[in-house]
Amino acid sequence: MEVVDIRPMLAPLISFVCAGLVFATGRAAFWRRFWSLAAAVAKLAVVMSMLPGALRGTVYVFKLVDFTPGVGLGFRADALGMFFAVVSSTLWIFTTIYAIGYMEREHSRMRFFGFFALCVSTTVGIAFAENLLTLFLFYETLTICTYPLVIHEETPEAFKAGRKYLTYTLIGGAFVLIGTVVVYNLTGTLSLAHPGILTSSIDTGTLGLLFVALIAGFGVKAAIMPLHGWLPSAMVAPTPVSALLHAVAVVKAGAFGVLRVIYNVFGVELLRDLPFAHVLAYLAAFTIVTASFIALFQDNIKRRLAYSTISQLSYIVLGAALLTPLAATAAIVHIANQAFAKITMFFVAGAIQRTTGKTCVHELAGIGYRMPYTMAAFTIAALSFIGVPLFAGFVTKWYLSLGALEAGDWWFVVVLIASALLNAAYWLPIVYLAYFKAPPGTTMRVAEARPTLLVPTLICAGYVLLLGTTANVPGMPFSLARAAVQFVFGM
Amino acid sequence: MAYWPHWLVVVVVAPLVGAVLAPVVGRGRPKVVALWALAAMGVTSLAALNLIVRVAEDGPFSYDMGGWEPPVGIELRFDEFGASVGIICLLGMLALLFSYRYAEHTLPTERVPYYYSLMLLNLTGLIGFVVTGDLFNLFVFMEILSLSGYALVAVSGERIAEMAAFKYLVMGAVSSLLVLFSIGVLYSVTGSLNMADVAARLGDWGARSPAMLALAGLSLGFMVKAAIFPVHIWLPDAHAIAPSPVSAILSGLVVKVGVLGMLRVYQIFYAAETLDLTGLNTLLVWLGAISIVMGAFFAIFQEDVKMMLAYSTISNVGYIMMGLGLASSYGLIGATVHVFNHALIKATLFLSAGAMIYRTGYRTLHDLRGVGKAMPITTIALSIGAISIVGIPPTAGFLCKWYIALGAFQADQPFFGVALVFGALFIFVYYIRMVNAFYFQPATHPEIAEVSEAPLSMLVPVIILATLCLVMGILGRIPLSFIEPAVTRMLAPLGG
Repeated sequence: MEVVDIRPMLAPLISFVCAGLVFATGRAAFWRRFWSLAAAVAKLAVVMSMLPGALRGTVYVFKLVDFTPGVGLGFRADALGMFFAVVSSTLWIFTTIYAIGYMEREHSRMRFFGFFALCVSTTVGIAFAENLLTLFLFYETLTICTYPLVIHEETPEAFKAGRKYLTYTLIGGAFVLIGTVVVYNLTGTLSLAHPGILTSSIDTGTLGLLFVALIAGFGVKAAIMPLHGWLPSAMVAPTPVSALLHAVAVVKAGAFGVLRVIYNVFGVELLRDLPFAHVLAYLAAFTIVTASFIALFQDNIKRRLAYSTISQLSYIVLGAALLTPLAATAAIVHIANQAFAKITMFFVAGAIQRTTGKTCVHELAGIGYRMPYTMAAFTIAALSFIGVPLFAGFVTKWYLSLGALEAGDWWFVVVLIASALLNAAYWLPIVYLAYFKAPPGTTMRVAEARPTLLVPTLICAGYVLLLGTTANVPGMPFSLARAAVQFVFGM
Repeated sequence: MAYWPHWLVVVVVAPLVGAVLAPVVGRGRPKVVALWALAAMGVTSLAALNLIVRVAEDGPFSYDMGGWEPPVGIELRFDEFGASVGIICLLGMLALLFSYRYAEHTLPTERVPYYYSLMLLNLTGLIGFVVTGDLFNLFVFMEILSLSGYALVAVSGERIAEMAAFKYLVMGAVSSLLVLFSIGVLYSVTGSLNMADVAARLGDWGARSPAMLALAGLSLGFMVKAAIFPVHIWLPDAHAIAPSPVSAILSGLVVKVGVLGMLRVYQIFYAAETLDLTGLNTLLVWLGAISIVMGAFFAIFQEDVKMMLAYSTISNVGYIMMGLGLASSYGLIGATVHVFNHALIKATLFLSAGAMIYRTGYRTLHDLRGVGKAMPITTIALSIGAISIVGIPPTAGFLCKWYIALGAFQADQPFFGVALVFGALFIFVYYIRMVNAFYFQPATHPEIAEVSEAPLSMLVPVIILATLCLVMGILGRIPLSFIEPAVTRMLAPLGG
């Protein structure tokens, strides 16, 4: 049931207005913080207020303007979009609190918080995009809005990373634009409201090129290998930005775009008859294993996190590409699972860096004595990535394995097991170092990170546990993912 | 006859009268002459507004000068493409307002009245060019605007400006000659100068070779005026060295004379149906694609802000020519929409760059570092212009990319759609350099932080234009609703 409602547009608008207010009054720390927090809370409230309706199957729609008939700015909060929006607006609150603490002595804070809000605005825009053009519009704006955050340090290294980031993502954007144009030319519509708008009457060659264009375009941000090069270099940005890039906004926008292409542009029915999705699945499997291997050899914590992100994102892509309901469930819930676990890790990395100045894995010996709560959060996230039961990552792995078996591709289960082992191989040594390898003479004095850094970290770690133990996390319902899957598969 | 067609005369005569009287009114009084010029453009704008409302309601109409009917008399014609008079008036007003402080600052006082006179003449030429219904007057108005254009480039009197103006003059004169020659050929074949009439008679007569000759001459002549690669060489110097309000007019409007000229040519030859235009279309599409890439390529190596903007014009004319050459309805819509939007965007860019140069006295990226903190509003306007011209949605520049790419696929020439979208990426490269320098890099000259924001007479035009850059993207339907019927009519002989 579709209901016309302004709320799907209101959600991105709140962050947008917040950015404007930050730019207008943000020279004063109080107003900067006030607007950022108020907007984060207001937006979560707006998104949450749609949740009961969304669970009942109501879809909120709002059309703003048309460029030409049928093509224009439109917002639509369906189950899949809602899921992404709930995750990103929940995390915005924690990231904002964390960023306020983290950025206390940084320069250009007004710029930072303004663009931060813009990024979140565009992310929710992506979640609620009614058609492919609106999706592209926000996807491209997101690229532009993250650029000032990536180069925040204004060092030559940061500019280099920024250039690399823009090169990758803008070329990706160009692919998406071409794909969008082709879809419109072929079908005369760009709507994302159906389980697939392309039909098998279009010749396979065209469909293949189109699939490549769209998946490559979104795959850049989803960091599917070999399109991942920008992500590790973008690590020069301040930690809250990395958290935003890797857990909330940018990479998830890419993964979400891939889901939209597979589920709403091509449709599961059509893709089952074509070989493309299978190729994508192999690519994702390759990425999962290779990125984990590279992560093994990274000494810088944030770089290790970056490669882990690349690996984890491909879980989502793999889940989508398997084209079975259970795998799709895994893909969608992993948006939340990966986000919370990864943001916890980034928060930890940032807290360690701010409190002790350490940025490398080998320096972490004994850190568990100094920052016990922080490292406990880290351990929870690490166990989740490995996929230990009771932690969020297990849910993904379980459904993904079932989905692979459902699709008849048992060897993807082998890939998942290999990935779990690799994850253990690069996360557990950190835990070991932190708790059991105290260098002689280490004082046992606890010197935790300050509360603005610690509290968001602990809450996010708490979410990881919740997501792993119950299907009814408040405000993060499993049933929403179910609803999305049912729509996509026409069940 | 109703009174309102007389407005059509007013839009041409008002700025002309203003131009002629400006040196008299403004002798030694630079502020007064600025207001005089604004008043003249004000009257013109009112008339233009009236006409645009008319054409939106009733469709195209024409006016016979002195009551002599065409083909004997002079016909002024106002169709949907003629609605570009609106943008000419808008940019004219804003550029004149911008000049209020700028001209006084840059030019010797005794030259200021002549500067305004030349500006008004230039605008007269532009408006006349758009509304005229016969080929000879097309040429006359083109010459008015070209000659005033050469003078405006040289107006500062610096040696380098004279050189640039001379280069512009030589190229411009050759192209004008080509156009005149072709008009002569068409006249000798058809015995008429009225465009609609020429089209009809050309169709009856069926003379292929002279028509072909005329087509070639007109196309080449207008291509030079539009500064498409490889006949663009006059443009960068002329546009970069001219005073900034002049650059805005030259880049935003005068270059479009070439484009609108091409459109008129197409209108004639599509309607005549004697020639197969596929060859010309292919040429235009290729030259368009090459212009996009080459314009961006040259711009990357520039240090001077206005030089970058000038090269970016070449790329954008490339978009438009590509859209024309695709000869599909979306392509043509994209091209004509971009004629409007590029005028807005480029004026935003040149005027805000002009405001920076006015305040700081610097014009290279290296010297202008850190200007974003000192002149926040101007720099934001320039950034909006930059985002718009590289085609980030939902700004005005995106529409052209969308429509022309769609046009390429519609015309079954997907290669050009891809070339357009990826060519546009090159344009990103130097605009990002610009934004980096203004905002993120440490200032080269520490005293730049002391610079104050541009004066109000500059800020107002810049803000209006930047807002339009944003709004026209979202309200893209408004120009579209104008252009669509015209495009449909134009392509009707093609059966599409």
